[in-house]
Amino acid sequence: MAANMKKLNLLSLAVVVALAGCSDDDDNDYKTLVVNNTLPVGSEQCVNGGNEKLEGEDSNRNGELDSDEVLETTVTCNDPATSLTPQQLVNLSTNQWFKDAKVKVAENQDNIAEIIKESGKAKNVILFVGDGMGVSTVTAARILAGQLEGKMGEEHELSFDTMPFSGFAKTYNVDAQTPDSAGTMTAMISGVKTDVGVIGVDEDIEYGDCSTVAGNELVTATELAEINGLATGIVSTARITHATPAATFAKSANRNWEDVSDMPEDAVTGGCEDIASQLVNFEANLEARFDGLDVDGLEVVMGGGRRHFLPKDAAFNSADAVSAVEGDRTDERNLITEWQAKYPTGQYVMDQAGFNNLDTETATQVFALFNESHMQYEADRGNDIAGEPSLSEMTAKAIDMLDNNDKGFFLTVESGRIDHAHHAGNAYNALNDTIELSKAVQVAMDKTSIEDTLIIVTADHSHVFTIAGYPKRGNPILGKVVAVGSEEPSLAADGMPYTTVGYANGLGFRDLGDETDADAAYFEGPAAGRYDLTSVDTTSAGFHQEATVPLGSETHAGEDVGVYAIGPGAHLVTGTNEQSYLFHVMDYAADLVKNADAKLAN
Amino acid sequence: MKLAILTLALLSPLASAAQCTIDNQYMQASYQVTQKQGAAQVTDTQQFTLWRTPSQAAQQDQQLVELWQQLSNKQLRPIRYFPQAERGIEYQPSEVKGQQNFSSKQQLVSDELLAQMTLQSEHGEGCDKIQKYTLKQADTTIEVSWAVNKKLLESMHITKPVGSQTITLQSVSFDKQKVQQQFTNWDNFQTTDYADIGDNESDPFLAKMINLGFIEHSATGFYDANGKTLSGGHSHH
Repeated sequence: MAANMKKLNLLSLAVVVALAGCSDDDDNDYKTLVVNNTLPVGSEQCVNGGNEKLEGEDSNRNGELDSDEVLETTVTCNDPATSLTPQQLVNLSTNQWFKDAKVKVAENQDNIAEIIKESGKAKNVILFVGDGMGVSTVTAARILAGQLEGKMGEEHELSFDTMPFSGFAKTYNVDAQTPDSAGTMTAMISGVKTDVGVIGVDEDIEYGDCSTVAGNELVTATELAEINGLATGIVSTARITHATPAATFAKSANRNWEDVSDMPEDAVTGGCEDIASQLVNFEANLEARFDGLDVDGLEVVMGGGRRHFLPKDAAFNSADAVSAVEGDRTDERNLITEWQAKYPTGQYVMDQAGFNNLDTETATQVFALFNESHMQYEADRGNDIAGEPSLSEMTAKAIDMLDNNDKGFFLTVESGRIDHAHHAGNAYNALNDTIELSKAVQVAMDKTSIEDTLIIVTADHSHVFTIAGYPKRGNPILGKVVAVGSEEPSLAADGMPYTTVGYANGLGFRDLGDETDADAAYFEGPAAGRYDLTSVDTTSAGFHQEATVPLGSETHAGEDVGVYAIGPGAHLVTGTNEQSYLFHVMDYAADLVKNADAKLAN
Repeated sequence: MKLAILTLALLSPLASAAQCTIDNQYMQASYQVTQKQGAAQVTDTQQFTLWRTPSQAAQQDQQLVELWQQLSNKQLRPIRYFPQAERGIEYQPSEVKGQQNFSSKQQLVSDELLAQMTLQSEHGEGCDKIQKYTLKQADTTIEVSWAVNKKLLESMHITKPVGSQTITLQSVSFDKQKVQQQFTNWDNFQTTDYADIGDNESDPFLAKMINLGFIEHSATGFYDANGKTLSGGHSHH
């Protein structure tokens, strides 16, 4: 029994009340005692706190209610708390992450409220496409950009990270789980998903069969803008005839029909026009498709790919020709002079000096072909023979020219070489070109107004590029994994260090030192698997990350890509949508189809 | 000074008899490569043809043509042609140090290597003037027979403890028109930037390139200043 005589520990809180007096001569008459205990918040009986009332008889007459004397227990719990006291919140409210996020919520509410949600309010539309810029590429580029500014990196924001709306796009082609740029850009710019490898035509096309093009041509947002009298522009660091820019203006059964020499004889005789020719004939071809239409053509064309516009004759070589014979055209046409004849007040530009001399206030049209093939990687521009501008410089000039049109403009800007650096297994160039894209987007945000310009930033597809291991915060994103609390690289099961970023397939390891041209890796065969990186500077420009599956070229990946948006109609960029949805967002924002219908009806 | 120039001018008609008037800039030379390895001296023999113009050099075997173009900025641009498919793969101009020596592409043996070697003997005149060079570095001995006025390698013998390699000239032609026509034929093949291969799974030839990466060249012949075979696509890491 003694063991059961344990006294309650809460006596200090208790209020002991003698409820009834008893005569001294009656041994069985005990005092009735009542004890009230306050239950703290988080107690077992009441999570929000409360009161416990114990009633019993003081059978041992010690004046206290011992546990074995309790006859009845009544628990009354408090109502749930509807607010916390400042004192209770102090650990949160003084925390910087907490404070920053709280401010961000308020900012985002303001930013969202600022977005004009009514249709047709976007005077200008700019579509940025980071070719191959999957989510892991965006994350790694953000970290690298921050680290280049002396930050730890992870907390940094790329320009488009600050946009108020974002979502995901499903990238698959109609006939391919993992897509290519031709099908994906056709979806974005025309609103129709199609097959891999084809440009500006729907899925009824037979790849490479010229005869199936007729009747399956799509209308692009660029063409609709042109019909509506907007200024139109195409900017890319790839060849301007490459899949992504080509999808804005061309219709082709094969993305590789960039000039006539790339086409089979039956395609030429069958009446199919090569992509370069379609660019120069953009105005005439569009007018031919719609009776009575009169348009003025593309105002801005900037990119690479001179080879597809020049005759296959060394006499036509440019100052920075890379091949012995720069031009590829076997039909003896010089499309550059053809363009100049069509636009006598326009300016043809082929180098940095010509670009710098462009007067954006007076220039009517510009046709700029800065390279025989693709333009240089941003980190490799210094090695270009004649010099060429950066993507942000081209974007600035393009907007300065296009905004001369009072009706507005439609501009597509592609960072085309993120994709190529990934194909070469070189994260350094992929990330640096992504950072340059971020700068170009910032230029566009600075030069335009949220009130009248819709800016969308996205990718056509992803790559098999991963951020892995458990590196500590601030660890160089291109470096080897150094774990939290450590100063030395972590070692894998094979006893060798490993990098944070890597590829699931491709050429694999290369240590090319300070080589800034990712494509230099291609001259040797795949070297997949593990290498001892102990004495290798993996942050150098010429380092190519290890890959698991040996392939001659790293491949695209099939997961969704991010979409970021600001400006009128940007609120529609939300959730997970088919890539073709993006055309319809732009159409909603600028009434592209409605206005074109009205124009063509008159 | 004037006197010296006059003297040279007077001598020149006599000297011309010993000079070589062949235009050695345009050349087609066929070589045999014989490799012997191990104690058993296992022998492997291959053939290849060297083609050159002032700005291009190509090494051709049965399956593959590896061509180098020297650009205006002195960078070298490699192209690989696959004659059976009549297709080519264009690579970026090489900025990688150690692969910029155009003389090694045009002559198989670079000017720098010749300069390092010791002239052992010299015989013949004009186009037939032959110089014999040797170089011994560590356990490697290189012997070169060099037609100096044709800028033509007649033979090269490399001896190492593990084996030896001999490159021997089989025939040579300096037919400018024929050489130019050959380069034109290759130039007419449809070419693709290697950078674009990854985007072209639907092209059967390029899809093969994605999976194979590159096709091993059967012959060797390019040497750096130290007599080592240049990687140049012939070796894996």
